[in-house]
Amino acid sequence: MAAKRKLKGESLFLRYLILGGWALFCLMPVLWFLSIGLRPRTEIITPTPIYFPTFSLDAWHMIWEDWPMGQYLRNSVLAIIGSVIIDLVLAIPAAYSLSRFEYRGRDDIGFYILSTRMMAPAIVAVPIFFLFRNMGLLDTIWALMLIYAAINLSFVTWIIRSYMLEIPKELEDAAKTDGAGELRILWEIIIPAVLPGIITAAVIAMIFAINEFLFTLLIASTPDAYTMSVALANFTGGSDGIIYNAIALVAFLAFVPVFLVVVAIQKHLSRGLTMGAVKG
Amino acid sequence: MARIELNDIQKRWGPVWGVRDVNIDIADEEFVVFLGPSGCGKTTTMRMIAGLEDPSEGEIIMDGEVMNEIDARDRDVAMVFQGYALYPNMTIFENIRFPLRMRNIPKQEHDALVRRAAELVELTDYLDRKPAALSGGQRQRAALARAIVREPQVFLMDEPLSNLDAKLRQAMRVQIKHIQRELKITTVYVTHDQIEAMTLADRIVIMQSGAIQQIGTPDEIYNDPANTFVANFIGSPPMNLIEGTLEGGIFRAEGIEVGGLPGHHSGTITLGIRPEDCTVAAEGAHLSGTVFGVEPTGDTTYLTMKAGNKLIEVKADRDYRADLNIDEKVRFDPTRIYLFDGESGERLR
Repeated sequence: MAAKRKLKGESLFLRYLILGGWALFCLMPVLWFLSIGLRPRTEIITPTPIYFPTFSLDAWHMIWEDWPMGQYLRNSVLAIIGSVIIDLVLAIPAAYSLSRFEYRGRDDIGFYILSTRMMAPAIVAVPIFFLFRNMGLLDTIWALMLIYAAINLSFVTWIIRSYMLEIPKELEDAAKTDGAGELRILWEIIIPAVLPGIITAAVIAMIFAINEFLFTLLIASTPDAYTMSVALANFTGGSDGIIYNAIALVAFLAFVPVFLVVVAIQKHLSRGLTMGAVKG
Repeated sequence: MARIELNDIQKRWGPVWGVRDVNIDIADEEFVVFLGPSGCGKTTTMRMIAGLEDPSEGEIIMDGEVMNEIDARDRDVAMVFQGYALYPNMTIFENIRFPLRMRNIPKQEHDALVRRAAELVELTDYLDRKPAALSGGQRQRAALARAIVREPQVFLMDEPLSNLDAKLRQAMRVQIKHIQRELKITTVYVTHDQIEAMTLADRIVIMQSGAIQQIGTPDEIYNDPANTFVANFIGSPPMNLIEGTLEGGIFRAEGIEVGGLPGHHSGTITLGIRPEDCTVAAEGAHLSGTVFGVEPTGDTTYLTMKAGNKLIEVKADRDYRADLNIDEKVRFDPTRIYLFDGESGERLR
């Protein structure tokens, strides 16, 4: 018994060692970013690595004083939140219909929605540019909201739909005999039951939107519509050369909110991603 | 509070028949049980009464009003589901209150009504919990409370006890019957459990392959079965059905000879006799065969006889014991013998 216990302790230690090592490996680039972002410019490009650099807030002051960082941040947040709201408003009823009603061509429509995600973005880049130009939406966050929403709509719909398929039909039958109409059922029974799925879909949509680069670059041409991801790319040019420490710090700042959101809803997220794969 | 008539109800999904030629008139305050094996159409029939399914043909009438075109939510019907179907995001209180909110019953009455329903099913201590925090029996009672809270015209119960263990099932059975008698609400109950049907029902409707086999009180169903299906489905152990020939009032099968039967039938016949209507007796015996098995259960002993290649179940005296393969004779109660047509299985009288 004692021997067995000891073995268990050892294997537990081994488990922590492996997982801890893996976590360190994954976090290393992030820590390296932070380290570069918080050192003076003179210590960035050196022939030998400096493991214990001088602490400096040069880059921090630079990004807030020399660039409209607040504006970029605001653009990012507004475009992302707006796009997620658009996605949910459209995807929830669509998913409800695709999972709950029977009509001709239902599965084809579902597949069509998913197929919008299958083409390479570059194919539609030029048409989309002209579309937004004709609508007078170029260089606005409204255009960003719409384009992010369009990119994410298909999989947001599919994630929510797969959750709705798991809800027993009996629940709806019960609500019907209790006197509830379709909208009531959706609002009071279905949506609360699939809330983890909705949160999962929303977070994944957010992450995609934060990382979106191609269409943002196409649509945004001034700081009016620049987001963090595009602004970051602009740091590489100009008379100052490539400002590595500022880039690193901005990249770190862009990473933090996503990280915090994922940690906060981690439980839902892992459940959401495995749901449908394993029954039960 | 409501009389339900089903007139010539048919339900098809394309070429597949769900329910055919269902005709039944359920009286006000009556407790009717639909009984049959799975897939016999009993649940479909109930769902059509609820309005969750539309009949392909026929009329559903409640208190003289045709309900076919009326939505489930506008029929004053409450349903209890096999899987309970409690709303997982709401507390038990909210679950029970839900039908009151949906039917625009004044808010100030909700609290009293919910508490009264919860009291009736002895669930007042659990109103603040979510369904996930309750046991199976408690969930079932919560589902029951949700159905009775607004005192509907009709209760529909779809195998409500099938997910409970045997002991709990018996307790809930008594409770359901008590509540139904107290509230005097017309009830349709679906089950595949013959004990539930016998103990709960005013009348039993036996269904098979989408069609009604027999409608009658539990006594009628048990003592006067309409065909071999009903005879075999009701009773535990089931009725012995012995195939043989009838000639001049005498039924013969291997090891079996029964005289004094009606002379106006002849040919291939199935003779039915319940185990409890058989006695081990040498005198006036109808069956002679060998002992195949003896099963003492405490209050009774089941004897299985082998006659030819046929096994016949006999409910013997509680003290009866015998060695295997010895010869034994069994007498049938002549007043309890049923004759069925050998081909159609219909009862011959």
